[in-house]
Amino acid sequence: MSFFGFGQTADIEIVFDDADKRKVAEVKTDDGKKEKLLLYYDGETVSGRVNVTLRKPGSKLEHQGIKVELIGQIELFYDRGNHHEFISLVKELARPGDLLQHTSYPFEFSNVEKPYEVYTGANVRLRYFLRATIVRRLTDIVKEVDIAVHTLCSYPDVLNSIKMEVGIEDCLHIEFEYNKSKYHLKDVIVGKIYFLLVRIKIKHMEISIIKRETTGSGPNTFTENETVAKYEIMDGAPVRGESIPIRVFLAGYDLTPTMRDINNKFSVRYYLNLVLMDTEDRRYFKQQEVTLWRKSDKSRLPLHNPHHPQILSHPSNSMPRQLSASSEDNSARGISPSHAENIIQRSVSPSMADGDKQNGPSEMEQDTTEVITDKLSNSHIENEVEVPVATVKPLEKPVLTEKPQVAEKPQIAEKPQIAEKPVLSRPESVEATPSQ
Amino acid sequence: MTNQASPVEEQEKLLEEALNVVKVQAFQMKRCLDKSKLMDALKHASTMLGELRTSLLSPKSYYELYMAITDELRHLELYLLEEFQKGRKVADLYELVQYAGNIVPRLYLLITVGLVYIKTNTNLRRDLLKDLVEMCRGVQHPLRGLFLRNYLLQCTRNVLPDTAEAQNENEGTVKDAIDFVLMNFAEMNKLWVRMQHQGHSRDKERRERERSELRILVGTNLVRLSQLESVTVDDYRRLVLPGILEQVVSCRDAIAQEYLMECIIQVFPDEFHLANLQPFLKSCAELQPGVNIKNIIIALIERLATYSQRNEGNINLSVVMEDGKEQEVQLFEVFSDQVAAITQSRNDMPPEDMLSLQLALLKLAQRCHPDKLNYVDRVLAHTDKICQDIHQNSGKTHLEHNTPVFKELMKILKLPADHYKNILTLVQLSTYSALIRHLNHPGRTMIALHLANIVLESDASISTPEDVEAVLSMVDVLVKDQPDQPTEEPDMEDFMEEQGLLARLIHHFKSDSADQQYLILSAARKALQGGGARRIQHTFPPIVFHAYRLAFTYKDLKDQDEMWEKKCQKIFQFCHQTITMLAKAELAELPLRLYLQGALAISEIGFANHETIAYEYLSQAFSLYEDEISDSKAQLAAITLIIATFEQINCFGAENAEPMRTQCALAASKLLKKPDQSRAVALCAHLFWKGAKDGKQWPLNDASRALDCLKKAARVAQQCMDGGVQAQLLAELLGRYALLRERGNASLTTNLIDAVIQKIREELANLDQSEEVEQITKHFHNTLQHVKNRMECPDPDQLGYDGLVLS
Repeated sequence: MSFFGFGQTADIEIVFDDADKRKVAEVKTDDGKKEKLLLYYDGETVSGRVNVTLRKPGSKLEHQGIKVELIGQIELFYDRGNHHEFISLVKELARPGDLLQHTSYPFEFSNVEKPYEVYTGANVRLRYFLRATIVRRLTDIVKEVDIAVHTLCSYPDVLNSIKMEVGIEDCLHIEFEYNKSKYHLKDVIVGKIYFLLVRIKIKHMEISIIKRETTGSGPNTFTENETVAKYEIMDGAPVRGESIPIRVFLAGYDLTPTMRDINNKFSVRYYLNLVLMDTEDRRYFKQQEVTLWRKSDKSRLPLHNPHHPQILSHPSNSMPRQLSASSEDNSARGISPSHAENIIQRSVSPSMADGDKQNGPSEMEQDTTEVITDKLSNSHIENEVEVPVATVKPLEKPVLTEKPQVAEKPQIAEKPQIAEKPVLSRPESVEATPSQ
Repeated sequence: MTNQASPVEEQEKLLEEALNVVKVQAFQMKRCLDKSKLMDALKHASTMLGELRTSLLSPKSYYELYMAITDELRHLELYLLEEFQKGRKVADLYELVQYAGNIVPRLYLLITVGLVYIKTNTNLRRDLLKDLVEMCRGVQHPLRGLFLRNYLLQCTRNVLPDTAEAQNENEGTVKDAIDFVLMNFAEMNKLWVRMQHQGHSRDKERRERERSELRILVGTNLVRLSQLESVTVDDYRRLVLPGILEQVVSCRDAIAQEYLMECIIQVFPDEFHLANLQPFLKSCAELQPGVNIKNIIIALIERLATYSQRNEGNINLSVVMEDGKEQEVQLFEVFSDQVAAITQSRNDMPPEDMLSLQLALLKLAQRCHPDKLNYVDRVLAHTDKICQDIHQNSGKTHLEHNTPVFKELMKILKLPADHYKNILTLVQLSTYSALIRHLNHPGRTMIALHLANIVLESDASISTPEDVEAVLSMVDVLVKDQPDQPTEEPDMEDFMEEQGLLARLIHHFKSDSADQQYLILSAARKALQGGGARRIQHTFPPIVFHAYRLAFTYKDLKDQDEMWEKKCQKIFQFCHQTITMLAKAELAELPLRLYLQGALAISEIGFANHETIAYEYLSQAFSLYEDEISDSKAQLAAITLIIATFEQINCFGAENAEPMRTQCALAASKLLKKPDQSRAVALCAHLFWKGAKDGKQWPLNDASRALDCLKKAARVAQQCMDGGVQAQLLAELLGRYALLRERGNASLTTNLIDAVIQKIREELANLDQSEEVEQITKHFHNTLQHVKNRMECPDPDQLGYDGLVLS
């Protein structure tokens, strides 16, 4: 009957209890537009009413039952048909029967666990929505309403910083430091770069924030890199001994919290990519994962005075080394104990020296950049986060050029301490590699 | 076929393009500000500032662009300031501007906004200043960095905390201001120095030019520091100066070091320099080899010397010694020590610079410590050592003329001379004459003349034999031949002038004490006698005349000094020796004249045994006449002098007078030319008849021999062929007749005179009219007129012309 437009039909409306008071959040939809949705947090009760309005008042609506569902699902764009629901809660609102008039059904999903944050990415979308259904024989009447969910975290203010010495032998050695390894979304990255050795003509240096979205698993893994922000932190060529401050306000960028292995379907990770560009437009870079998290607004507000520049803190305040006036004055450079240890170790231990040699330029061409950068940094990052003290730089120069892939380097496999070393990736090192 | 634009045109074009963008963006920015669209205005400002990211402009063009842009930024600043003061604060503005992706525009905006924050809320001042200066590190490109930091410095010039005690911790104190500027200075200097090392080495010259165009940007930091009024001497010593010096020394760049050191000297007050001489000078020693350290130190010395003079030398200078005690020291001591250390530590320093430093020290010593001659001496001694080193290195014994070292040494030598205007002071400087000897021959001559002139100008006397010796050793080059003098003959006129000066100098060798004077003269002669004939003919006469004068002095002193006669004898002995030396040097006329002068003096003084000595003098003169003088004119002149001298001397008895006058007459008659003979013989008449003295006739007068002489003269005159000459000689002779007759020689009768007159008339009548003849006639008539006058009013003491008839 309804096929022909003359059966009874109804409109469904979902009204949330505290819609006027509840905060809203902007969420990207899959077509790229932004939409304001009511915001819920993990464990919060989602309650409201489902209003059914009959189109033709007076005549009855026959139904097989009315229900409302709260669904959290992950949609992989390459697999449109399959939605992975990680939450699916159902409330029966009415048993099968006839509906004679406008009816309003209250519902409440109390203390719902909402483990993930809503997310719309390049290949994946994670959303929460309420679906009210009037089940009928032929076609159900369905109404879906999305809600936004933010996951909040809190980390202690004192967090381990990221500090690392990286370089390319006899070419560029730098030490960089980010004050934290975990930043909340309105946070400020404060850090500095200290130049230990500069033999290339640097044009400028920037920090970019890269978002890496990984979806699927196994052979169906898709990785999407997106540069969210590019931020120039240095103009011109520094000399040895120079230290350059970093200060990046995150609030201005479109960021989400880091998501790791969400329901075994996808991950969103963020990397700080430190890029140095030389005058011949070669890029030298080092990626470093940072964890982004969402901080509760409530804790932020009282601290925040809009008229007071919040961040004046600077790494220099705690680092004596950059007052060293002479760029040549190596001794004035503050050296952390671990650093010194490493230096000694390096010069004494034969195996270390050996490893250095074998890691020399001639080896670099064996892997393509993408792979090695990924692999290495992925494997390193865990280490770095746990052991943020600077490690001695390895001297690996991955090459961009396509080279026949060779089996993994044995020394890396055998000597974990080498594998752990962070790499400053330098893709176009062809000219700089003497062995070629 | 593209027209390659010249670099200048290229620059102009680039600049114009950039300025156009600035104009457009600035216009947009201001429009947005008018509409209170701050965010849009900031965006335009940022685009405008983006022009400053260029690497294509030369420093000059970049400067123009910078000026244009900062001008426009002022609008933004004023707008924000107004808004803030009205209470319309923009939330998170300081954070907002930091979202600019490019660092150069970002930092310019940050500074602009930071300044507004500071002005409206001084509580933020300390932290903001620290933050701004720190964040500017991000620009490492020298040109862009320099201008950015210059903007920072410009903006903050009126807001730097300048109080010793802050009312509120967050406002900061002057120490924060010092830290701020010092940090900015250090960074700017690093950038500035770095410019030197970028780009091709072939552009070095251009780079250095560009750097010097930019140096003022770096120097402004120091100016700012000096403008902080609450910086005390102590702050300067503990914070400011060490901070600057560390940077200057460690940058190891000659251009920067030189400029900045001079900057320090110029911008900070004298008191600060005084209190920190040692660290400053010590840093000077550590500067790069290429630095012209001399200029720096000289600038400082002169500044402090002027200061010291202004305060009339009342400057308190205390130095912390190594043991921690403070000690008062003299300005000079500090400089002297440090300059010595510097010259020692810097082997590369050109010797002329070392000398310039000594010159500056010398000035300091003279201006600040006029009473301490030993300071001057110390400088000179040090200079001496430097000169010795120079000789050792060059392998030469003297400094070449007109080399830089030569000129410096010359200045060093002239300075004390001109300063003291007293050669005796120079004598007290023990190394002064040693220093002169480092110059080569022309140099020594110059300085000797200079010294001589100083004595002459100051009209000073040199009154001890030691001083005389010292002075003469200073002008040694004038006194005797030098081993290094040029082999060719010196220019005669110059030489004469030099010797003339030396002779004048000798006249200043005088003492009030007669005995002392004698010693002086002996010393002078001893020093001068090595000079050779060319010199002693100029230098001995003054000595001899000094000696004669001394003899007269003794005569005046005869009541006080019993020994005066002995002393006079000794003096004349001394003179005799002196003149003999001249004679031995193959000179004739000069010793002759000196002998005659001596004889005159002797006869005047009249001490014991004077007659013998006078005779000796005269006879010496005579023998010189006989042996040495051959030229007829000279002979006439000499014999005339001898006759005249003899005529003046009255001390001879007959025994000595007879041979003398006979010899004279003989010599006169032996002259070659007739007119000469005639005149000389006529003169001899005076030897036989002298006028009465004090009413007494000379006992040795011999009237007839006098007449004989005149007669002979007349005879000889008549032998002359030329009538004019004859007439002239006779006219002269008439004068002599008249004179001797008036002096009482009666044997010259009126008849004789009349005969002469007639003879003259005769001769004159025979002569054709000419100028010469007219003169003779005039001479003749004048004599006649005289005689006529005498006849009309005769002098009772004289013999008249009774019986003479003048027609």
